[in-house]
Amino acid sequence: MITIAIGKGRMQESALALLARAGIGMSDDAVNSRRLALVDETGQYRFIFVKPADVPVYVEHGIADCGIVGRDVLLESEADLLLPLDLGISRCRIVVAAANADAMTKVQGMIRVATKYSQIARAHFGSRGIPVEIIQLSGSVELAPALGLADMIVDLVETGVTLRENGLTVVEEIAVSTGRLAVNRASYQLKTEEVARLVKALESTLNGGQ
Amino acid sequence: MTSRIPAGMRYYIGAEARLRRTVEDVAMSVFEGWNYEEVITPSVDYYDLFEQGMGRAEAQRGFRFTDNDGRLLALRPDVTSSVARMAATLLSERPRPLRFCYAAPVFRQQTQSHAEWRRENTQLGCELIGVGGTAADLEVLRLAAEILARLNLQSRCCITINNVEIFNGVAAHLNLATAAREQLRRLIDTRAAAELRQFLQTLSDNEARAFSQPTQLTGKREVLKTARATITNARSIAALDSLEELWTEIESLGLDNSFEIDLGDVSSLDYYTGLSLKIFVHGAGASVGRGGRYDGLTGSFGRAEPAVGFVLNLDALTEVLGRGGKQD
Repeated sequence: MITIAIGKGRMQESALALLARAGIGMSDDAVNSRRLALVDETGQYRFIFVKPADVPVYVEHGIADCGIVGRDVLLESEADLLLPLDLGISRCRIVVAAANADAMTKVQGMIRVATKYSQIARAHFGSRGIPVEIIQLSGSVELAPALGLADMIVDLVETGVTLRENGLTVVEEIAVSTGRLAVNRASYQLKTEEVARLVKALESTLNGGQ
Repeated sequence: MTSRIPAGMRYYIGAEARLRRTVEDVAMSVFEGWNYEEVITPSVDYYDLFEQGMGRAEAQRGFRFTDNDGRLLALRPDVTSSVARMAATLLSERPRPLRFCYAAPVFRQQTQSHAEWRRENTQLGCELIGVGGTAADLEVLRLAAEILARLNLQSRCCITINNVEIFNGVAAHLNLATAAREQLRRLIDTRAAAELRQFLQTLSDNEARAFSQPTQLTGKREVLKTARATITNARSIAALDSLEELWTEIESLGLDNSFEIDLGDVSSLDYYTGLSLKIFVHGAGASVGRGGRYDGLTGSFGRAEPAVGFVLNLDALTEVLGRGGKQD
């Protein structure tokens, strides 16, 4: 049996739908229950539902053999994991946003950046030699520029509506984020067949769907 | 006085301390049985030594401080650097080969979220210096397998082997710039199949196809056959030949159940020059040991000669043994 960690919330539904199409299904009752650990109908897979940011932690420690989680979370965690499949689910963008589209050219000295993604923000501005003060927030990041807490934000954008409604526009795109299958390095070597079976099932589902 | 303990540091009490000593004794007695001499290296050394021995990125994880004269010191982040220097300088006149083993704590800075979060780890390791070729590679692989067997882990472990020259040969043949070479390495290392295929398409070279299916890079002898079907450059072929020679020896010793060939193990290309190995045990979330051939290392201390070795992580091993394999 292999254990798959799934991030709760945004990605959970599309991840479970994809798994079901790949023949790895759970009854609706099980999914709708509030249990945080479930075993699929064949007994081959155990699912655990954790906060998205914790998925790389469970997988890196080998408590879960595999995980389904967004690229944004993986970039932020810097966990040392194998990433055999891009699942293409929950597509969104990680962007720099500000009140004005030309904000980047106007700032001098230090930029204040509010974000939930401090690693990604630091790496992005760092690679361009721009000094930044990172202001770590845990939500409603879009408010920060309007209230004067920050000059810009680094955040996840799905439709862009929230940005627009808060008077922000995208200044730069840092990366596209989609759901990924992450695999523990030791599990990949020690449970080769089980992991390969999962990868293959998901891969052929993805290719068949195109 | 403070009741706090720095992150990544810990006590070992009673049964756990005893288990550590038992595992250490088992490893050291196996080393001794193969005529490896124990060596105790300085706990504190010049930081330069480790930068030369491990490369900058790894050495920078060491705890650093300054000597009275202002020179930068480090609490040893590895033992191999020091042994290599000793072989090239202090013992330069001794007849070869040199065989050394050690059980020593090493210290590395580590982000706490990381699975290998401990900042003090005891390494059980050995170095075979002054002899190259399959026989030397096989010797250290047999040592690793014997230690695992003596710990009753042989049915639960997997030692992956690779020869980094296979990748290096392909990268050289493709004439990749540093950034592209690193990207290729990273995509193979993380088994990112789709991105890898995309990347290889931009190269449109037959040679590159060898790496197109990361899932096919791990296995027994058939992996070599798959690789040979596409790889044609001389450097990689030579590496494949020596890996095959090694595999044949492993088979004839009946050890092939414990070993796997993994051409996708390209995590430490700058360090190793031939064989590279990783040791995995059921119940441990990360590898419990690693090693390989590092013929370039002693040269940087003034006496170039072949060398091969590996380390086992005592903390990871005792954790698995202490749990009695409950996790799986």
